[in-house]
Amino acid sequence: MSTAAFVILGFILFCLGLFGVMARRNFIVVLLSIELMFAAAGINFIVFSGIWHNLTGQVFTVFLIAVAAGEAAIGLGLLIALYRLKHSANVDDAHELKG
Amino acid sequence: MTVLWIVLAGFIVACAMGVVLSRSPIASALSLLVGFIGVAILYLALKAEFVAAVQVLVYAGGILVLYLFGIMLTDNEALRLTRQVQYQAWPVFILVLVLFLAMGHKLYHSDYTVQLPARVVLVSGDSQADAAQAALAAQAAAKSGTNTQQLASVMYGDYLYPFEAASVLLLVAALGAVFLAKKEV
Repeated sequence: MSTAAFVILGFILFCLGLFGVMARRNFIVVLLSIELMFAAAGINFIVFSGIWHNLTGQVFTVFLIAVAAGEAAIGLGLLIALYRLKHSANVDDAHELKG
Repeated sequence: MTVLWIVLAGFIVACAMGVVLSRSPIASALSLLVGFIGVAILYLALKAEFVAAVQVLVYAGGILVLYLFGIMLTDNEALRLTRQVQYQAWPVFILVLVLFLAMGHKLYHSDYTVQLPARVVLVSGDSQADAAQAALAAQAAAKSGTNTQQLASVMYGDYLYPFEAASVLLLVAALGAVFLAKKEV
């Protein structure tokens, strides 16, 4: 498979994640879609690391997984706070800042 | 061989579509779990064994279990009965489709054969000679050993400070999560 195919695979995952973030209602599914976008970035890092024989891409994928873990922790903390306030995990219910 | 790549890519994309399109959040999370195992197989096929193992252990084993706990704690009949996509789903779909076609066309026709220097040294030492010597040593270390050994010599050599920063990030994230989720804020 050529490099372009890998890059486009990553881009398909990114687009699906972007759609999920903007269109889904459940806060958990929004977070899962963000994880999809992280996976797209990881695939790109690994592919270019292999092509250029440079391990920096793999190191940054490990950092990416650490950042994803931090994002999951904060996201779930926000989710619990939202659920305690609104008794719902629907992102439409958090509209305090709506003018 | 190409057929295997296409099957793997199709499997990953199908799992990703399952995440975005399935009605119940638990199906989304399990679909993402299976998709991440597919991504780990892709990493393995691209000779990144350590990252593949971390992907399965940390992502599939740790982070997704955390999400499953989140689903368990916030499950609610009312949300399950409402429409799962917002009213702007179709405009968003068109927007993403346009982005995909425009950028996908650009990505497909790009040239990826650019040659970088064999090894880019991002950390500058106190003196030029020190940096050059460290780079040579790291390069020699990186050439020998398994993927995990090579990765360790790069991560704890050139990227020691980013590594420490990542640990601080995780600490701050854990504290922030505890603060956000505690009862009286």
